[in-house]
Amino acid sequence: MQKTLSGRTSASPVAVPRPSLFNRKTGWVLLFIAGVIWALLQAGLLQHDFVNPGGWERVRRFLAAGLNPDLSPDFLRLTLDVTITTLAFAVCGTFFSLIFGFVAGIFASEVWWQSILPGRVGGRSLYRAPWLAVRSVLAFLRAIHEIIWGLFFISIIGLDPLSAVLAIAIPFGAVTGKVFSEILDEMPRQPYLVLRNSGVPPTLALTYTLVPQAFLDALSYAFYRFECSIRAAAVLGIIGAGGLGHEIFLSLQSLRYEQIWTLFLALFALNGLTDLWSGLLRRRLGAKLSCSGADCVDIDSPMSGTATLQLYRYDRVVRASLIIAALLIPFSFWYIQPNFGKLFSERTLLHLGEVARWAFPPDFSQLPLSEWLELSAVTVAMSLLAIAGAGLLALVLSFPSAHNFLLPGGLLVPSTAGLFHRTLGWAVLLIARSILLVARSIPPPVWALLFIFVLFPGILPGAAALGMYTLGILGRLMAEVVENLDDRPLTALKALGARGGDIFTYGILPLSSPRFLAYGLYRWEEAIRATVVVGLVGAGGLGHLLTEQLSSFDYQGVFTTLIVFVTLIFLVDQISAAVRRTFREN
Amino acid sequence: MPDLPLETSNIIFELRNVTHQFGSLAAVRDVTLQIRAGERVALVGPSGAGKSTLISLLNGTLSPSQGEVWVLGQHLARLSPRGLRHVQRQIGTIYQQFHLVNNLRVIHNVNAGHLGRWTFLKGVISLAWPLDVDTAAKALAQVGIPEKIYERTDRLSGGQQQRVAIARVLVQQPQAILADEPVSSLDPERSREIMSLLRDLSQTTGKTLVVSLHDIDLARSHCDRIVGLREGQVVFDRPADEVNETFIRALYKITA
Repeated sequence: MQKTLSGRTSASPVAVPRPSLFNRKTGWVLLFIAGVIWALLQAGLLQHDFVNPGGWERVRRFLAAGLNPDLSPDFLRLTLDVTITTLAFAVCGTFFSLIFGFVAGIFASEVWWQSILPGRVGGRSLYRAPWLAVRSVLAFLRAIHEIIWGLFFISIIGLDPLSAVLAIAIPFGAVTGKVFSEILDEMPRQPYLVLRNSGVPPTLALTYTLVPQAFLDALSYAFYRFECSIRAAAVLGIIGAGGLGHEIFLSLQSLRYEQIWTLFLALFALNGLTDLWSGLLRRRLGAKLSCSGADCVDIDSPMSGTATLQLYRYDRVVRASLIIAALLIPFSFWYIQPNFGKLFSERTLLHLGEVARWAFPPDFSQLPLSEWLELSAVTVAMSLLAIAGAGLLALVLSFPSAHNFLLPGGLLVPSTAGLFHRTLGWAVLLIARSILLVARSIPPPVWALLFIFVLFPGILPGAAALGMYTLGILGRLMAEVVENLDDRPLTALKALGARGGDIFTYGILPLSSPRFLAYGLYRWEEAIRATVVVGLVGAGGLGHLLTEQLSSFDYQGVFTTLIVFVTLIFLVDQISAAVRRTFREN
Repeated sequence: MPDLPLETSNIIFELRNVTHQFGSLAAVRDVTLQIRAGERVALVGPSGAGKSTLISLLNGTLSPSQGEVWVLGQHLARLSPRGLRHVQRQIGTIYQQFHLVNNLRVIHNVNAGHLGRWTFLKGVISLAWPLDVDTAAKALAQVGIPEKIYERTDRLSGGQQQRVAIARVLVQQPQAILADEPVSSLDPERSREIMSLLRDLSQTTGKTLVVSLHDIDLARSHCDRIVGLREGQVVFDRPADEVNETFIRALYKITA
């Protein structure tokens, strides 16, 4: 028996056996490393050269053009026009996605279904089946990338701005619906139940209680969606919907590098300003909710809305943002003039009927099984390489781009640091943030075309392009995690005399890693969806097949490939949910 | 210890006319205070009296707006970052909300007490393959939770987490222990256990203990000197057995 300080006797000091180095967590890590090696082999790591040495001259000319962007008045006017067009696509797309998401959010929430179908059958709650069905429909809608929706709408209603708006509205509306429903389900239910018990119908009771409670979180999320919409609008330009992406693509094909740089600068400015605005607003709203992947809401548990609503109603930033948004929406519709008549025209309905007839039934015998597997493998390999590269680089860049890290008074710097440290801190922060902004502003297909300068076509340039884009978004999300860290454990480490490096390894890194992992997995799911975007430039995989089928109007093929693709995405979702569970519980 | 003539003891902490402002609010106002080796001092007073600020000034995480803080014979404001770390290694701090890294295992939180001495490389290796397990196991046995060594810290109850924090201080082997409301998040039974643990630790090893408390009875039963703080100023500073109801009432009285 051993005597403890408090005078209690503890059980005889059994030596607790050291846990094995091999557990589920390290298992996943090893599996990930194996996956990346497999992906590299898929990309032909050992088989052939990747780099086309002849391409460096083009890279040099491209970079040199960066010093000399096309600033002629005519081109500047064009740039301004397409920039506003891209902004307007994003505003209109976000507008519809929020309406869709708001309605879908109510009907995809557990609480709504529970109250209209309270009964139980055979020990199971009656509401579960229809509730899960609604959620699956949303999952299907959001699994299909904006660009596929875009190509689909272009073939149905033609090259109208409406196609781009709908292409953003549908998948983003589905994501928003999922996130809104989860926010609703997490809100305290007492007020809602009080209304229900006094006989108010469920939908009305929801709009009067849970919806206002959830308003702030929803608003914060809406602005994050707007950020995403700007990027989506630029990507959609590439399929001919107009705007910045379209002009960049045209200039790239005609090798007018000076013009590309002008357009790039506009793209950086547009993205930078939007991100700045949305970041400021979301900080003001205090919500850290900025991810839309599966299970993200339980990672960033929403705050209780009612207590804070009063507080923020008078916040100047919030009020100004709402006014700007209210002005931007009518302006955007006026600027791009989407033709809603086309949506219900006879021609559209006719096309839709034809497409439906051609699409059914799906035909998996078009390709042999081995071919389906091969295409799926290429798709997964591309996404794995993209997320591995992006994750590593984002880890390196996220810390210096967080404003509480290297600046004086930050987690690692005494607040008394001198002018030199202050300048250095700001310089590093600006460089890191600029790299991330550039990486996420340039649409992945454009990255792919740039990588093709020096890389031979294949998995690698596709993965590199996706990786750059993912890096930009992931790095920004991870920097936000660092900025929101609880600094008390870190102060405690500092107080016991630990050095900066120790505080990093024993405090900052473990504290931020659960969120980093969650965001990494979420972006991996997104990367797999986005492989279609680089498929557009011949980077292989199911995405490439899909775009080929779409451009040859092979709707049966499209439908079949979509089923395979969506199944693959669901599988990846399952794996990522399993990883998350392991790391949350162990 | 209480019998030791104070004049012969070494001064461990000394505040000289210290003021600390947060914006326009002075959390600590013109405080002068000496604490000698081996003393067990309780800081008591209403919320917002400046107890936590005082503790942060003593361990060097805050620097005063005015006045001087001397720790172990060193004027903290004159020290280089490296020199400050050197002094901080000799002071262990325990907090109300524990301030542990929740998703690390207990062993790593305890081993963080070594960080002032370990090389960076050793720290990193230990995260993958825990080093100095014996020291950590002994410390955890001393605080009564030896079986939790490889558990994740956020799985532990509040009282157990506070024991982990104390084990970290044991491993750190400081000359003085600061405790900022260490028992305010715990129930009365757990509070007494943790306070007894801290008192015994101070008694057996001669370590100085400075603890801020809400509970006057705990202060009287576990410390030998009580400093009453109110609105950032020292109201009284006496041996524990001389602090009676009159002092307490004066300390907590509401100013009109």
